[in-house]
Formats: sequence, structure tokens, C-alpha cells
Amino acid sequence: MASQADSRDRQFLAVIGDEDSVTGLLLAGIGHVTAPPDNQKNFLVVDDKTDNAAIEAAFERFTTERKDIGIVLINQHIADRIRNRVDTYTQAFPTVLEIPSKDHPYDPEKDSVLRRVRRLFGE
Amino acid sequence: MKAFLERMDTEPDTQPDAPNTQTQTQATKPERRTTEEEAESESQRIDTLLAGYLTLLDEYTALRTDLTALQARIFQDLARANFAGAAERGVRHYGRDYYDERMQAGRRVHVRIPVQGSGGNGLSGDGGRNKTKRERETTSPIGLEEDVAARRVNSRSDGVNGEERRGGEEGGGWNGPVFSVEVYPPPGGEEGQESENSVEQPEGKEFSADEEGSSGARGKEINAINGGGEQDGSLTTSETDDDDVKRKPKPKPADPLRWFGILTPLPLRQAQSNAIRAVEEIIPRLATLSAKMAGVELEVRRARKRRAKAEKAEERRLAELGDKMAKVNVAA
Repeated sequence: MASQADSRDRQFLAVIGDEDSVTGLLLAGIGHVTAPPDNQKNFLVVDDKTDNAAIEAAFERFTTERKDIGIVLINQHIADRIRNRVDTYTQAFPTVLEIPSKDHPYDPEKDSVLRRVRRLFGE
Repeated sequence: MKAFLERMDTEPDTQPDAPNTQTQTQATKPERRTTEEEAESESQRIDTLLAGYLTLLDEYTALRTDLTALQARIFQDLARANFAGAAERGVRHYGRDYYDERMQAGRRVHVRIPVQGSGGNGLSGDGGRNKTKRERETTSPIGLEEDVAARRVNSRSDGVNGEERRGGEEGGGWNGPVFSVEVYPPPGGEEGQESENSVEQPEGKEFSADEEGSSGARGKEINAINGGGEQDGSLTTSETDDDDVKRKPKPKPADPLRWFGILTPLPLRQAQSNAIRAVEEIIPRLATLSAKMAGVELEVRRARKRRAKAEKAEERRLAELGDKMAKVNVAA
């Protein structure tokens, strides 16, 4: 029952990605900024200057701290930068999905779901 | 040889009379079957689970391909929009410089979990499984579920055996979350209004501090304009007031295209429609599949553990038998 109440509040998609990926997804209307004074965004635009700590902090915020995120989308090449954190993430909510970006095509070898598949058959 | 082993298993150290031995053999036979059959049934269960898992994997990879293609189109459209924007409108780049700092989500996630036996695969922590199949059939948007449901209907006609088979066919009695992304606020208004209100409660609290006074006044104003008569006659005025207060603070979020100006280039609009397709159709299905696969993985691991246990018990039993045989040989 607790999980049901928990899942009901999870109504936003969060994105961690490069500018074009985030722009594309925000065009679909998933962007949300909470009311002041928090002004928490549900997206993070990552560029060359963004350090891994900031990415990890955003990932932590979207997956652990915020209880209103249902799905977290993260560019695969950015997920690679915090690969250990992404691969060790096992919670049911929010679901983390890796998406391709403009400069880095999707690589099934790195996808965390497909890694799970390999682990299951490799056992 | 097998019959001999069975006899050896039941034969006591001292030589008993024949009828007594026979009754003991019959008594131990079911026990032996349970360990053997248990291991076998677990193996079968694992096979069916893995077969279902492969179907899910197939769908996952197909959706992945679709998403990749769709995103490639979005990036292409954005590039074209940037090119057109730079040439015609003096816009350098359609990107974060134009984001609205007060944006509100116009598409939101809905997570449905079947009410009764939720979390059968341990995803959400609750126990129970194979309880709310009918509900799952109605709520799940995944096409695969329809196939499973169809197979389930067939298996229902098989009676008791069908029950067992059903559990395997659906990949371990899936009771986990089903994601969907829907327009917010819902266009119909009536449908899902109840759930929207319940979902929005936390956010409503956030806004209540600065909007309470104004929204209440606005609600009364609107009620006065409408004459309060458009609602059902059976409602009291306080109820209609409440309804207005609840509904009016949720204006439709602005179209994100407007962040980039009034006359946006066609490629940008195309990028938006492709992004909407990705967000509404593909991403929620991928999320559901990912959760579903995690559930089946858990089931498979559990079944493997049970099988390993059963196999160990069988090995131990055979080892004991071997010991007894050796003793008998020595005695002979």
C-alpha cells in the first residue's frame, strides 16, 4: 500500500542530458520547476564543463531525494561518467532509462538493462 | 538397478521379512519423488520464465530501436531549426537560453499498480502474486500483455492445470508498476479528475501559501460570472465553490514552443511532435518493460535457488543410499 501511495506521487520525468536531448524532451512538455523558494528543476543540462560530481548529485537528487520523479532519463554517455552509480541503482522507483544522444549513438553493450540480461544468462 | 537402490534404501540393517520391506518401500517412494519432481518442476518453471523473459527482451530491443530512430529525427529537426533560425530569425541556438524558468509539466507520468496483490516480484516490497490478473489486463498499455491475456484465457479453460501454466506464462505473475505518460491537465476533465486531485495534493500545498487568497477570490468571481448554475443542481454552493477552487488553480501549462517565440520554424514543431511520440509512446513502455524484466529476473533467481536446494537434497539422499549399499555389500 505504501508503494502505491509512493508511486502515485511520482508524476514527473527527469532528464540528465546534453542540451539537444534536454531541449527535445522539454519540447514535449515534461519540464517542471517547483514553486519558490525551492525552484527545483527536473532536468540537468550537461556540457563539457559539468563535472561528474554535479551529475552524480543530480542523479542522487532525482532518484533518492525527490519523491515526485517517476522516470529518470539519462544520456548514455553521461551515464558512463557515473557508471558505477547507475549500475548499482536497484530501486523500483524511479525507473532509470538510458537514452542516446546526438554525438554518442546508443550502445547496447553499455545499457544497464541489457547488462542485467547478460548477468542473468551468465550466472 | 533403480529398483534395487530403492530396496536398499528401505532395507534395515537386520534382515527383515519380505512383506514388511514392501510396505516401507511404498512409504519412502513419495518422499523421493518430491525432491526429484521438485527439481524438475523448478527447471520447467525457470524455462518458462526465461522464455517469457526473452519475449520481453525482444520487445525491449525493438522499442530501443524505435527510440533511437525517433531521437535521431529529433536531433535532425533541431539542427534544421537552428540552421533556419540562424539564417532567418537571428536565433543562435534553440536551447537552454530560452527555457522558461517557471515551466510547468504538461505531460506527466502515471504509475499504476494493481490494488490487491501488488509487488509480486518484490519490486515494491509487498507480497502476493497471481491475484489481480483481470485488472492487469485492463490497465496495461503493452501489446504483449494482450498476447499473454489471450493465452491466459485459453489456459483458463484447461482448469486446474491451466492455473499452474498461467503463472509461468506471464513471466512469474507480474504485479508491478505500469507506467504511462499523459497530458496534464487531462483534456476530458472528468476522466481521471479524481486521481489528478489526489496526485496533486502535495503540489497544491506548495501553491497554497501564495495562492490561497487569490484563488479563493477567483473561484468566487468565476462562480458569480457563471451564476453558479452550470453545475449539477444537486450540488450545494459550497461544493461548487470547492470544485472551482480545485479546478481553477490548474491552468493549462504553456506550450514549450512559445519559449522560442511566436513564429517558430517548422522543424522545431516537427521536433516537438517527435518528442511527444517518444515521451508518450516509447519511454513509458520501456520503463514498464524494464521493471517487468527486473521482476522476472528476481523470479528466475528464486527458482534457481529452490532448484539448487532440491538438487542438493537429492544428492544427499543418493549419498546416504550409497553408504547403505556399501554396508550391505560388506555384510554380504
